[in-house]
Amino acid sequence: MAKYKFNIDKPEPSDEQINRHKDFKKLQGNYQRMTKPLYKTPLYKNPKIFLALVLILLMAYVVAEFTEEQEKKEKPKNDTVQPRKEP
Amino acid sequence: MNEHHKTAADLAEEQQQVEAAQADPARFGVLYERYYKVVFVFVFRRTGDEETAADITSNAFLKAMLALPKYKFKGVPFSAFLFRIALNEVNMFFRRSKRERVVSLEQASLGSLIDEAGQDDSEENRKRVLGALGHLNAEAMQLIELRFFEKRPFAEVGLILGLSENHAKVKTYRILEKLKAIMIKRRDA
Repeated sequence: MAKYKFNIDKPEPSDEQINRHKDFKKLQGNYQRMTKPLYKTPLYKNPKIFLALVLILLMAYVVAEFTEEQEKKEKPKNDTVQPRKEP
Repeated sequence: MNEHHKTAADLAEEQQQVEAAQADPARFGVLYERYYKVVFVFVFRRTGDEETAADITSNAFLKAMLALPKYKFKGVPFSAFLFRIALNEVNMFFRRSKRERVVSLEQASLGSLIDEAGQDDSEENRKRVLGALGHLNAEAMQLIELRFFEKRPFAEVGLILGLSENHAKVKTYRILEKLKAIMIKRRDA
């Protein structure tokens, strides 16, 4: 069962108090954010997505560097020079 | 006629404003200006807190703006559509926060509710009816609030609660019978 608190003859907020919270520009901004398709917003304008992109690029760079390093280390083993036989 | 009743001319003018906002969301500002206060007060009466009422009212207007393309005129003021969304937001708030639901009323409305329940308007009966109201479930309390504490017509009550006008009437009178039975039981106890 729901519990209730009864406010009897409690005065309502004044017009001034209510108008303090009224902000149509903010509402319009929220509405545009909600209705604008994600692909129309440049990715760099969203800090979270921008940070995620930077992290992904950084990780890709580190992985690429590591793989290159590994390949360089493995190369000398394969490059064994065979002595050429004189005819 | 009370503040919730509007003439056909008022409704027609309002409908033009709604259609303009459907065509261009920037024109929703006219409806926002017109209804911000009433929606705020509607929410405040159910939460009892100014900041909470401001947050819920903002969410309600945003959802109303998003749902506006689907809005169809049903013969009641546009405010009924806004109140329905606001009431859903209030219910969601209480489900999430587990706070005590606030019911705002005036002594005079309590008196008219006692009259409707066929009882004498005495101090004892006022205490009894408040005790009996505490036994109502959330939907029944919403009906009583809209009809008796806010004096809304049944057509609007029905639209806010997602019921037909007739169903809202039937349910309200069943709740009154229930309240009356609880009050008699308490008097005789």
